Amino acid sequence: MKVALAAEGTYPHQFGGVSVWCDQLIRGLPGHEFVVVALVATGVEPVRWELPANASQLVTLPLWGPPPARPRGSRAGEWRAGEWRGRGRGVPLAVRELVDVLLDDAAAARFGTVLRDLHQYAMTRNLTATLAAEQTARLLAGTWRERWPLLAAPRGVRPADTRPTLHDAVTAMRLVEHALRPLSHPAVAADVTHAVTNGLGALPALAAKWQHQVPMIVTEHGVYMREQYLHLRNPPFGWPVKDLYLRFLAQLCALGYQEAEVITPGNVYNRRWELQLGADGDRLRTVYNGVNPDDFPELTDEPEAPTLAWVGRIDPIKDPETLLRAFALVVAEMPAARLRLFGAPPPGREDYLERCRALAADLGIDGSATFEGRIPRIRDAYAAGHVVVLCSISEGFPYSLIEAMACGRPCVATDVGGVSEALADDAGIVVPPRDPAALAEACLTLLRDADRRKSLGAAARQRALEHFTVDRAVRAFDEIYTLIGSGGRVPPADPGNPVATTVTTVRFGSSV
Amino acid sequence: MSSQLTTANNDGALAELAERFRAVCESAVDPLEVASALEFDGVSDRVARVGYEVADVFALARLLYAQVLRRPADPAADDHVQAGRPLLHGLLYALPAACFPAAGALLVGPGVLPALVVALLTGWGLSQGLAAVGYLRLGTSGLGPARRVLRVGLACCVVAVAATMTVTAFVVHARPLVLAFGAGEGVYVLGACVLLVTGAERWLPAALAPGITAAAVFLADGKPPVLEHQTWVALATTPLLACAIAVAWTARAGPRLGRLLNRAELLGAVPAIALGLLAAGLLSFPVAAGASGHGGGNVGALIASVPLALSMGLAEWILLWYRRATRRLLGLTDDPRWFRRHAGLLLLAALARYVTGTLVIISVALDVAVLSGQVEVSATILLSALGYLLLGMAMFLVLLLQTASIRLVPLAALAAALGAELALRGDGLVVQVAAPAALLLTVALYALARLGRAVLHA
Repeated sequence: MKVALAAEGTYPHQFGGVSVWCDQLIRGLPGHEFVVVALVATGVEPVRWELPANASQLVTLPLWGPPPARPRGSRAGEWRAGEWRGRGRGVPLAVRELVDVLLDDAAAARFGTVLRDLHQYAMTRNLTATLAAEQTARLLAGTWRERWPLLAAPRGVRPADTRPTLHDAVTAMRLVEHALRPLSHPAVAADVTHAVTNGLGALPALAAKWQHQVPMIVTEHGVYMREQYLHLRNPPFGWPVKDLYLRFLAQLCALGYQEAEVITPGNVYNRRWELQLGADGDRLRTVYNGVNPDDFPELTDEPEAPTLAWVGRIDPIKDPETLLRAFALVVAEMPAARLRLFGAPPPGREDYLERCRALAADLGIDGSATFEGRIPRIRDAYAAGHVVVLCSISEGFPYSLIEAMACGRPCVATDVGGVSEALADDAGIVVPPRDPAALAEACLTLLRDADRRKSLGAAARQRALEHFTVDRAVRAFDEIYTLIGSGGRVPPADPGNPVATTVTTVRFGSSV
Repeated sequence: MSSQLTTANNDGALAELAERFRAVCESAVDPLEVASALEFDGVSDRVARVGYEVADVFALARLLYAQVLRRPADPAADDHVQAGRPLLHGLLYALPAACFPAAGALLVGPGVLPALVVALLTGWGLSQGLAAVGYLRLGTSGLGPARRVLRVGLACCVVAVAATMTVTAFVVHARPLVLAFGAGEGVYVLGACVLLVTGAERWLPAALAPGITAAAVFLADGKPPVLEHQTWVALATTPLLACAIAVAWTARAGPRLGRLLNRAELLGAVPAIALGLLAAGLLSFPVAAGASGHGGGNVGALIASVPLALSMGLAEWILLWYRRATRRLLGLTDDPRWFRRHAGLLLLAALARYVTGTLVIISVALDVAVLSGQVEVSATILLSALGYLLLGMAMFLVLLLQTASIRLVPLAALAAALGAELALRGDGLVVQVAAPAALLLTVALYALARLGRAVLHA
């Protein structure tokens, strides 16, 4: 079976959790042929992953940089006619429709049709040039001005305070033009398209569905729309642009959910968001991330000194500062305790590492809390502690947690994202985020109680091997591909067991 | 009673939470944005249930969104135009000119003028191409990859300059010292280009210091023959230092990732090279052709060309001002026609600023030349200065159009002007004034027509 795997800003050009997952999936299914469709920033990014043998092709779709080339098969004359730069000709109907749905809260139902028309237009005409044209910006500005009083009222803004300007119209159309660039590329013909993110990453899958009737799957490790809300909290442009662009993305995500035969969130926490964003609960199948148990064998030895281990990016979102404050409370009770932090700050945020070091010094724990940087073999980081701590204020379904669980290390983790479903009730201790006292108390409990550590570690390992292995995740997708690719449908989810990862085969409505 | 107390407590907690998330709620586009912020700050479903007695974080977000009025904050304005950097650039463009009079004794024998013109054309053409590639890489991949491509590009361009100068010297029978001076000129421009693109122009004064200091001392002492050789060594040090600093500055380029050059970068370099060649050609023509159009020197052109180089720093600063001013203008209206009218006025204001500044610089240069007894004011000198002023104005508009990614017509206009000057060179000063005037008129009308478009300014 031929699978087109569409990713945005991750595999195979960047490292990170989603890229690890994509690589595991392709390598785990050698019987399927994969075409990797990568949405990238400019197209000059180097490929950082060696593609497996069954990945037969890499298609790169840049969102920025030079505009897309003329598709093969389109006529040069017609294409040049599309390179229309507002010389008095009318704005094409497909673009007029786009402006209309962008500025009409009640037009969500037409959004899919409009994008489909734009894709058809882009196969013969220069959509990028048309969207970037002066006439299009003028059309948007004029329509926005007319409709603003109607749009502002339900948002609770006074129309006069935030009236969209010409700058807003040009900026908004520029954002939309770049976002829609994947529609200017011919769709990849495959048996199944698997978008490993919603939003822009779903556009190649939508195009394949419209052009070749290829069924699509949407997987979300982090919820695309939630990340966009966070990303655009303080945007470099005006509020009307933020409002228009987020609404455009929300409509795109809703379309992705609507057109997908099956949606596979990486955890139940994501599922809540997807339901809020318009996904049909019957099409949701949670498929957890997994680790290879061979890479994380059980750890039986413990270090001599009572030690807490932490693994992650030194970044405010991981909140190592709360951990340092908690550890100061631990040391007050248990002076021999140590804290070892493994990980480095992202490029450009080295100042944050220095801030953490300064905090450790202020708390008087700089001798017992050590920043050890990246470690070649991640398992050694888990082996370094009696207890593995995760103190993030935001997470999806963290690999570090399930890796530590697979090693049989007891975990203390904050109640964010999919953490509580990973640890369940008996495989670790969950504490509120940003609460040093609760974190310290949980850590002390485990550091003082070897039996509890042992029992929690065993339960964690058992749970990880049962639910969070690569084989299990890969097997689930193998079943989904086979089923969807052969025209079958995934059965409705069992409402009592929404986290089931095994797919029961239903072909044309009947169990097989 | 207990229920009332709980409700009161919840109201208090909710009000406290609303206050904590006021900024988020005031600029949120919908309740889901508030929910994302709540979760990001550690407010989970469990916290929502236990702390605020609502079903989940989404319900809590809806409550907060309804409670707080929308008052979106404007994005932080970036309106400050720093004059320091562009003006430093102007000095850096103009200062090397001080080396020419000091190198007078070097620049003798046959083929001096053709060799220097070829050096100027090669240096400017290649450096503009290299800068275009560097800026493109900087924009797409960041400083490390930009350093890498500039480092390799610098090596290739230095070899190209050396090869071109060697062939030229052979063809025009120029002396090796003329060849060395021309090559040094080209190498300096390339080294300076690398440092400018990578934001390290602060090191350029260090490279210029030996050549400029030696030239100044040599000229102030009345060109004593005893100092000739030391002066030449110091002059040679400047391009070598510029190049060495550029090589050192680009050493931390990181590992090579992907192709060295891609198609877009190569295509981007072509118009930049053309601009460099045409600008160098137009700038050097009056000096090379002389006032009569048949060679024989043009003191007025020599005096005016240095202020013109200096004025390019001023042009850069006005260009930044213009870009920011038009962006502000876009934010004041939703009417494209109003914008077009006011953008046209802004363009004229920018041109007026440039003319005023450049007139002052040219006047000062002429005053210095007259007061030091090097020239006397004459119609020839004033006409030469006028020609350069018109050329400077046209170049300013060409640069402005380039920043809006409009290249083809300005390049064609520059080529036509240079072609006219070459074809009608026998008309001397007349064509040296008329061609830049026609160029200015063409480019100004074109800029007025094109730069009224909103999409070019956001």
